[in-house]
Amino acid sequence: MSGVLAFQFYNWHYFFAELVNGVAVGSVYALIALGYTMVYGVLKLLNFAHGDVYMVGAYIGWFVLNALGSPLAPVMPLVPLLLLAFAASMVGCSVLGVMIERFAYRPLRKAPRIAPLITAIGVSFFLEQTAVLLWGANPRSYNTFSLRNGELFTSVGFGNLRIQYVQLVVILSTVALMLALSLFVWRTRTGKAMRAVSVDPEAASMMGIDVDRVIAVTFLLGSALAGAAGVMTGIVYQQLNPYMGFGAGLKAFIAAVVGGIGNIGGAMLGGMLIGLAETFTVGYLSSAFSDLIVFSLLVVFMLFRATGIFGSPVLQKV
Amino acid sequence: MSADAPTPGAEPATSPRIGADEWVQRSGERISGPGGLLGRGLRAAERTPRILLLAAFVGLACAIPELTSNVYVVGVVADTLIYVLLAVGLNVAVGWAGLLDLGYVAFYGFAAYLYAELSSGHYDLHWPTWQSVPLVVAATILLGFVLALPSRRLSGDYLAIVTLFFLEIFNNFTTNGYAWNWLGFGASHNITGGPTGLTNVDPFRVFGHVLDNYPTDYVWASAAGFTVVAVLFAYVNKSRTGRAWRALREDPLAAEAMGIPVKWLMLLAVAVGAGVAGFAGAVSGAYYQGVFPSTFMFPLLITIYAMVILGGAGSLGGVVFGAVVVNVLLEVLRTPDHARWVFYAAALIGLLAKLRPWRLLAAVLAGLAAFGVIVNQIVAAVWPRGVAGPIAIGPTSFTKHGFFAAILRHWVVLPGHTYTDSNYQIGNYAFVVVIGLVLVLTLVHGWRRWVLLVPTLWAAAFAWETTLIEQAPTTRPLFLGVILIVLMVTRPAGLFGQTRVEVV
Amino acid sequence: MSVAPLLELRALTVSFGGLTAVDGLDLHVDEHEIVSIIGPNGAGKTTLFNLITGVSRPDSGDILLDGKSLLGLPPHKITQRGVARTFQTLRLFLNMTVKENVMAAQYGRTRATILEQMLQLPRARREEREVQAFAAEKLSFFGERLMGYRWDQPAYSLSYANRRRLEIARATATRPRILLLDEPAAGMNPVETHEIAELIGKLRDEGGYTILLIEHDMHVVEGISDRVVALDHGVRIAEGSFEAVATDPRVVEAYLGTTATATK
Repeated sequence: MSGVLAFQFYNWHYFFAELVNGVAVGSVYALIALGYTMVYGVLKLLNFAHGDVYMVGAYIGWFVLNALGSPLAPVMPLVPLLLLAFAASMVGCSVLGVMIERFAYRPLRKAPRIAPLITAIGVSFFLEQTAVLLWGANPRSYNTFSLRNGELFTSVGFGNLRIQYVQLVVILSTVALMLALSLFVWRTRTGKAMRAVSVDPEAASMMGIDVDRVIAVTFLLGSALAGAAGVMTGIVYQQLNPYMGFGAGLKAFIAAVVGGIGNIGGAMLGGMLIGLAETFTVGYLSSAFSDLIVFSLLVVFMLFRATGIFGSPVLQKV
Repeated sequence: MSADAPTPGAEPATSPRIGADEWVQRSGERISGPGGLLGRGLRAAERTPRILLLAAFVGLACAIPELTSNVYVVGVVADTLIYVLLAVGLNVAVGWAGLLDLGYVAFYGFAAYLYAELSSGHYDLHWPTWQSVPLVVAATILLGFVLALPSRRLSGDYLAIVTLFFLEIFNNFTTNGYAWNWLGFGASHNITGGPTGLTNVDPFRVFGHVLDNYPTDYVWASAAGFTVVAVLFAYVNKSRTGRAWRALREDPLAAEAMGIPVKWLMLLAVAVGAGVAGFAGAVSGAYYQGVFPSTFMFPLLITIYAMVILGGAGSLGGVVFGAVVVNVLLEVLRTPDHARWVFYAAALIGLLAKLRPWRLLAAVLAGLAAFGVIVNQIVAAVWPRGVAGPIAIGPTSFTKHGFFAAILRHWVVLPGHTYTDSNYQIGNYAFVVVIGLVLVLTLVHGWRRWVLLVPTLWAAAFAWETTLIEQAPTTRPLFLGVILIVLMVTRPAGLFGQTRVEVV
Repeated sequence: MSVAPLLELRALTVSFGGLTAVDGLDLHVDEHEIVSIIGPNGAGKTTLFNLITGVSRPDSGDILLDGKSLLGLPPHKITQRGVARTFQTLRLFLNMTVKENVMAAQYGRTRATILEQMLQLPRARREEREVQAFAAEKLSFFGERLMGYRWDQPAYSLSYANRRRLEIARATATRPRILLLDEPAAGMNPVETHEIAELIGKLRDEGGYTILLIEHDMHVVEGISDRVVALDHGVRIAEGSFEAVATDPRVVEAYLGTTATATK
């Protein structure tokens, strides 16, 4: 046992593979975490249902790929096929996210703080059980291993430092999505309105910002990112089931907290951190401990830096 | 209401003068509570002394095993009492202190497991009950304290995250804890028994009696526990700690500024709730003679939340009521035949309660009947197999051949061979359509709403008959999620809770 | 004769993200004194209250109550030491009754543990009686405004002016040595403002409280203050009697801008 351990510690290729793996996992977490953090930013609401939006996104991707003949007889080349899956999932999830906000959260804008939180848990559970009802509790598989003879899973790189195409796809598309989001938040009028609402919704509405619209846009963007994350999970890890949103959502949630909830850069960094921590724990110790490690990370942050990596101390309005 | 509206000039002698103190004094009379049967029941319950309600409830629960020898019924009573305990415990954090404690089920599970470890052949420990139960309760309280410790912020958000993640970890640990080794070193131990859990757990032994008359004895045990908890909690609620919890729920920052140690009270609320969960866990370990990891998961958490929210978070009596109603409903939904009755009865009662004046009610009911019959005829003409389905899976011939069944068969559409895959989808599509229609219903007003109500109800009946009734294991949790969302959006105070006013 | 001041601030400084809200402020409040703090919006008045009550921490300087530092104590400990406050934006426990609001504020003055409360042991019962009696006493202080039947009504049913009164009653229920009142007359009509001013005077004369007051209404400040301190940008720009401060050119300038001094 310890011999294997020692081998693993000094094997740089193993380390590199784990690193790439961790970044890929972290990308998925980061994309989901962005949705949590953005919604928290504008509404101060922990949107527990977000993980289940991600799950729905994974299913939408599965339906698109299967409708187009994947994995054995895809009707079109790989790139448009994947693009189509991503696009469908992102659009579907945006619609879902906006609907959740409109029907479940908006009526509770002025309710006691705990009310929308409980509703969010209810929505999460409702989505999960609806998925069980509609699509069954049994796991499904993207089976992208078989797609075009496993083309996606061939590796590129130099020497023994290899990286699979599919990991490149995940990492690069995550980077692209994050860039797009940053541009949106920092360069557009709506993005500016989002930032204003997150600082002070009341003042923002007095400045003529349509707060309801901004909140809807926030849900739309966050859910679209979750949809993309769902498809990514599908093409890399194959398996999907109605319960996948719970665990992944929770980890992403913690990523958002660790990065500094409400902070977009923090969510990206937090996602990477959680992804790497989890992958290295599984790779070097045992999968049984990965949750414990993430939990310890959360507790350490809460005890010593409750505002997360990037979060500035929150000013309490008195 | 109109009698209270003062007309200028000629004020009725009975009406208090606006602006005068009398008017303020009698403001309580003008607050309109829920009307109808519910309102009458509520007011009657409010007038009755608490201790009588408690005695009546416990007395009724304990009388049922004497009145019936049906083990299933007595078992449901025992289950319900455990749920009542759990709901009362969760109410401390959620209802009184306004904190989102999502690890509650993990406390319950921890206690059940701890009791099982101490009182089974797993480690060959067979502790006497008077030692094991206090230890389990104390350990669970301690766990509650420790878990609430990291969330030091005044707002309860972090508490929700930490506790929810703890639940996830607890589930993983209990499921995989049959081969646990520390950081990959040393031998692995079987701690939790893994997916199959721990079995052959000892019953309680109290004063030389072994409580092994299974459902009945545990009705008594949980009823006794509930009585004690109810009395203790009623006292706490009207003492300084109860007030401080309410203050913390209203405004943590102001509470802190008034000398209330908010963080300590958060810990206390979570820990006190955990204590009740600890007792309930020990009872369930002994009653079910085993513990299984799949019990203590997210669905159970949702169940207990639905109970607390339905009854009215913050009200002890309401929470007890919620627990009873939800658990009995969940039991009823197990049997398709009963589930059918629940659905049509609930729809009818809902219409009777909500639709005024009676002309509107009559119009909607008539429209509903006509709509169903017409659709049925159309489908029969276009696609004969669409109406060929059997009415029931249930055992009672009443619904198969009876009067009610005949009506139903000519009203809803029941496609034949519902279990074949392609037809199964029809019910699923209907379910999605129903959700869409309900959402649209919340948007439209006036006559459009009443017109739309007709196809919505019909589609709901269709979805209910074609898929939901047959998928009881999924329908039951779905129903819980719906309770949470609908109640929170329409009536956050639940049935018995005080309607709260937010900052004006 | 030099008696140590009840509350003393020494070179208190705090800044938020580059903006210095309170800058090297020295201030003292003697026993049985009413000190008013005036200054334009954003002068750092409420920030000062937040510093004293421990809601925010100063970057440097010291806060002493009776010669003992309050720095680093959590807000509830500071309140238990004898500093109570009201809020500019009312923060009552709206869904609790009037009496409960005042009773809840006595938490820090009672000691019965939760077990004693559960079992209704003698200490818990005795304290509960004391809390009830003390709440009645504090509410009676406000005359018929908060009297009788109103005690059992939820706080949200009170009028705006009565909510302000209840906040003061709640603060006094913590048995403070010094009361910090944050704009007690804000949003009130002239009659109510006059009543509040009288009440503050009565709090000092009959209740024996020391009071630090933030107020915009100069009629209130003029009528009751022993001493007035003017702040601008977190700096003390004038101190003394109301007449002296109100006519100080720097104060006029702070309120009206530089042109006022130019035309003067």
